[in-house]
Amino acid sequence: MLKSVAIGFTAAVVLLTAAPAPAHHAFSSEFDVDKPLQLQGTVTVMEWVNPHSWIHLDVKGAGGTVNWMVEGGSPNQLLRLGFTKNALLPGMNIVVTGFQAKDGTHKAVGRELTFADGRRLFLSESAADTPK
Amino acid sequence: MIARCLLSIGLAAVASAPPAWTPPRTTDGHPDLQGFWTNATITPLERPRELGAKEFFTAEEAAEDRKRALVPLPTAQRGGTEAHYEFTQFGLDRSQAQIAFSLRTSMIVGPEGRVPPLTPEAQQRNAERAARNKGHEFDGPENRGIQERCIVWGNEGPPMLPPGYNSFLQIVQTPTHVMIEQEMIHDARIIPLDGRPHLPQSVRRWLGDSRGRWEGDTLVVDTTNFTDQTNFRGSRENLHVVERFTRVDQDTIRYEFTVDDPTTWTRAWSAELPLVKDKGPIYEYACHEANYGMANNLRGARAKEDR
Repeated sequence: MLKSVAIGFTAAVVLLTAAPAPAHHAFSSEFDVDKPLQLQGTVTVMEWVNPHSWIHLDVKGAGGTVNWMVEGGSPNQLLRLGFTKNALLPGMNIVVTGFQAKDGTHKAVGRELTFADGRRLFLSESAADTPK
Repeated sequence: MIARCLLSIGLAAVASAPPAWTPPRTTDGHPDLQGFWTNATITPLERPRELGAKEFFTAEEAAEDRKRALVPLPTAQRGGTEAHYEFTQFGLDRSQAQIAFSLRTSMIVGPEGRVPPLTPEAQQRNAERAARNKGHEFDGPENRGIQERCIVWGNEGPPMLPPGYNSFLQIVQTPTHVMIEQEMIHDARIIPLDGRPHLPQSVRRWLGDSRGRWEGDTLVVDTTNFTDQTNFRGSRENLHVVERFTRVDQDTIRYEFTVDDPTTWTRAWSAELPLVKDKGPIYEYACHEANYGMANNLRGARAKEDR
């Protein structure tokens, strides 16, 4: 059993954008709102690909190490925030809160991502503090 | 007080009206529309019903509207699902974008400010299509929308509407063609200006078949020959679009369009939005290349069937 198990749904609902931007695909059919999770692990691969970036991370648990894939936003916009291919490198420790994929595999949507020390990974206001 | 201020501003404007702005021109003498532009906006396509026939905000109302529009809403109000990434984290919310502001209360012009009603024929067509798809939404990739399949995104049009994020486009001109590439999702519209006729009706294209011409300093682009999988507000292969591009100052192109389709709407309708100069560049958006979402969605549906 993974150490990183589903956590309760946070009461402090994260605020989203004012204007409903059209999502690329049907999130509610890809990810399960009833399977919220928190993952802490080590980055193995950062895929800078559209329509969504995907972060791969190794998560250690009682049953061994499992490699998860976590979906994020468009890399085009991350580039505009100042991120580069060196912003998220293998070996970095991150924490992801999100929702597991409905197919039951080790995939999730990364709703909020932080470095292990608590700094926000992609929040634009802190973009200047992130490794370039 | 406000009224007095506005009056004095108006009088000052009349007294010292600036000379008409002259656009920069290409070597063949047409207005130069080239460069990077953004159409990111907070102006909705359709006017909120509570605004009635009010087509423009005052400057004060517009400032309030901007303040309101850029504050994030909870998911419950925004619609959608919690199983989504947090937009502010990825720079996808509009508070982090360069916005092409306008005093318009809706992109659609005129007193109605809304898409006209569908004809009975279109209503029946849509109902039949929905009935055919019901229960088969996840049978295979062909059942998913063309946007989810990374074929064409809704913003590409034409008419070109803001996609919500990565709202950038590039225009390149030659004496014989205009090219418009939108970052989302990187298709290049190559528009001949030489007066050639549209393609035969038997040839259908995802982005339609566009023909351009200059009317004075305005580029006019006429587009027909869409596919039956086109879906612009209910209009499909019979969609007819006329776009007008006018560079009105150094940093702005006025983008207007009129759409008509007698098999879909009870009348033609028109909209207007600004394109604002951006420093660029635009980036590749290879949507299909990494569209893991498609497989994940279909696998999710199979897993549900197995339960």
